[in-house]
Amino acid sequence: MNCVITFFNHFGAVRYKNEAGRFGWNVQLSPVPRSLSSSCGTCVFCDTGNDDPLGFITDEMEQVALPDGGGYRIIWRAEDS
Amino acid sequence: MNNNSKTGIIIAGLIIGVIASLLVLFGNPANMGFCIACFIRDTAGALGLHQAPPVQYIRPEIIGIILGSFGVALATGEFSPKGGSAPLTRFAIGFCVMVGCLMFLGCPFRMIIRLGGGDLNALLGLAGFALGILCGVFFLNQGYSLKRTYRLAATEGVILPAVAAALFALLLLAPAFIHFTEPDGGPGAKHAAIFISLIAGAVVGILAQRTRLCMAGGLRDVVLFKDFRLISGFAAIFVACLVMNLILTAATAGTYFHMGFAGQAIAHTDGLWNLLGMFTVGFGAILLGGCPLRQLVLAGEGNTDSAMAVLGLLVGAAFCHNFGLASSGEGPTANGKIAVVICIAVLAVIASVNTFGKKE
Repeated sequence: MNCVITFFNHFGAVRYKNEAGRFGWNVQLSPVPRSLSSSCGTCVFCDTGNDDPLGFITDEMEQVALPDGGGYRIIWRAEDS
Repeated sequence: MNNNSKTGIIIAGLIIGVIASLLVLFGNPANMGFCIACFIRDTAGALGLHQAPPVQYIRPEIIGIILGSFGVALATGEFSPKGGSAPLTRFAIGFCVMVGCLMFLGCPFRMIIRLGGGDLNALLGLAGFALGILCGVFFLNQGYSLKRTYRLAATEGVILPAVAAALFALLLLAPAFIHFTEPDGGPGAKHAAIFISLIAGAVVGILAQRTRLCMAGGLRDVVLFKDFRLISGFAAIFVACLVMNLILTAATAGTYFHMGFAGQAIAHTDGLWNLLGMFTVGFGAILLGGCPLRQLVLAGEGNTDSAMAVLGLLVGAAFCHNFGLASSGEGPTANGKIAVVICIAVLAVIASVNTFGKKE
């Protein structure tokens, strides 16, 4: 499954990339797509294969979104964010 | 406008560059169609926070940027009141960024505008800015974080736009307790008509919100991701300013383009301190997550952490003029040099504590 994950800080994305590697997921760091958020921080584009991306949630994650047409559909958001 | 595209941000940058040059034609100081730092400094003076008569005026461009961003964020559903990410630390960083800006005599936005006017001193500023960003990126990659933000009540996010609107009322009413530079009394006396400035600021605020234009973010994304989208806006502002200044110089009696180091408007030729001033700005901007323009835009979107950074800029400006830290066309002051060194040290401590002091 392809998804985009945004974070509260840059290093959260770096740490996620390192830790998600142990699941064999393909993870790439990137600027947050404008159509997903007005934030200009760092996100990851993640291909989790057959795994559910919500199976690995960290404290630094802000939201998880799936590509949907030309935009994104948010499927998870951190509490109070 | 497809706000994901590089074309969109280039068009926005070109429009902003044209506006910046036209504001000089309409009355703003030379090479200062826009300067977030200088305009916040002028506003601080107008409010009596510092006593430097040449730089006292409530700049409508600042009000316009905040209200433009606020309005477009409301209209597009992106108004999102949030905060709680180390607000006082952000205030302190904003303070340090202003000290750096007033050493160089301009924010990153004005640095580009100065380059577009042929001011080669800004090349030293650009070098320092890039070095500061590299320094900030080092800490980002080591784990720097001011921790997460939290959703807040809508009233929190509306406060700064409301203050901006109140400032505009004060500008229009001009009560006796608001200070204005006397005619021909300095840069504060040079300004475009109020509503032209307000509209120009609002257009820049809207475009910057839609495109996320950020001078520091542009260089940061190149370093981190080899992504040239944000920096293309940066480049477009430079090109538009350069072309407009050449056209205005040819078509009017004024001089809008003058290439060289000496004799530049509201600038000095001390390369080392131009470099160190903008190093401070670049470093601080990465720690804040954006340049002063970006902080204004985020504050307009309801980000109270960015509003704290803006308050830090405001108080920093007042300190710079009350304690002789700000440079002038004559060059930097001894107090200013000491302050810049202290601010670099403060930023290094903030970066280190929030990088190495929080590792789990």
